[in-house]
Amino acid sequence: MLKKMMSNGAYPVVFLTLIVLVSVGLLSWMNSITSSVVKARQEEKIKSVLESIFPEITGFDTEEEIYITYGGEEILGYAFITEGSGYGGDISILVGLDVDYNIKGVEILSHTETPGLGGRITETGFTDQFKGLGADDVALSKDGGKVDAITGATISSRAVVEAIQGSMIEIIEKLNSR
Amino acid sequence: MNDLRDKREDCPGRSVGSIFWKEFVKGLVISNPVFILTLGLCPILAVTTSIDNALGMGAGVIFVLLCSNIIISTLRNATPSLVRIPVFIVVIATFVTILSLIFEAYIPALHQSLGIYLSLIVVNCIILGRAEVFASKNPVLYSIADALGIGLGYTIALFIISFLRETLGTGGLNVFGFQLFSLPVLSEHPLTFFISSPGAFLVIGLLMALFRWIGVVKCE
Repeated sequence: MLKKMMSNGAYPVVFLTLIVLVSVGLLSWMNSITSSVVKARQEEKIKSVLESIFPEITGFDTEEEIYITYGGEEILGYAFITEGSGYGGDISILVGLDVDYNIKGVEILSHTETPGLGGRITETGFTDQFKGLGADDVALSKDGGKVDAITGATISSRAVVEAIQGSMIEIIEKLNSR
Repeated sequence: MNDLRDKREDCPGRSVGSIFWKEFVKGLVISNPVFILTLGLCPILAVTTSIDNALGMGAGVIFVLLCSNIIISTLRNATPSLVRIPVFIVVIATFVTILSLIFEAYIPALHQSLGIYLSLIVVNCIILGRAEVFASKNPVLYSIADALGIGLGYTIALFIISFLRETLGTGGLNVFGFQLFSLPVLSEHPLTFFISSPGAFLVIGLLMALFRWIGVVKCE
């Protein structure tokens, strides 16, 4: 029976098509299970980072990719997510600004930099340097700014700094024109 | 590369258990996929920078290898040889994608640090190699033994390499957030050379020499 079927010229085509169909079905089923978990986790993560940057936060709104954080009725500040292109891939950074548009806190959401070198951009020793800086000062010390690069990881450090500075200027313009 | 060839038919007198055991054990040392067969080296350079990544990658490879070996072995008599490679690739890619989705949803930190190398298990030659050389020609039970042995051999290799690289390169060892130890002088002046890719080549080269020597001793 199987032998007879296999000698048919169309058999390989039918077989491969069946395999692919099963695969597609399985994957879309898996995706439907996991995608909601992934989405919920991302929102959870953003929320917890916002809470660490704005400790008095009671709630937040999103408006054109800008997070507006509130403490009661009062606006505490703004936050945005920016992407930098590092040494090993994209670096996703959440930046919190106070009402005067100075940086209130920086948190690296995800990165694929080399552990021990560029991977150290997540350490507070690096990210705390951004606190209180205005858009003009967000540059590496060697480029005339106020952020010291991590030794041996200039590319990663510069990627973070440039992503933050670039987006910060854009976001402030947006906020001013509201 | 002789051990890549299948010799199943020459030992009819042996029990199922002893063949299972033989197929399992061979992957650990005498045909260790990394040090002896030298398969799947590219992701090794990238993921052995830390123990966490190495163990995650090892677990991923075992999962994919086991699932793909079972399916491919089950379908081996029905698979037309004309389209066998596309069939293998589809089967492997399906399991890799499932793995990637599971990691992304339930172990996001690991998914994050393995990055692109998780999806690249699809083109890891160990898995396609075992499908073509072993699973497509052997019964399901032996294919399971082969997958477990080769997968575990790969994980052991990743573990040894990452242990050496993380210890020398960062001066300490962190496993899933717990610091196991931190060496006094090395943690202040880590040999970052070992974290970079050239360091990986050096470590792999030395270990390969060691495993070959063990293999030679065992065969004699």
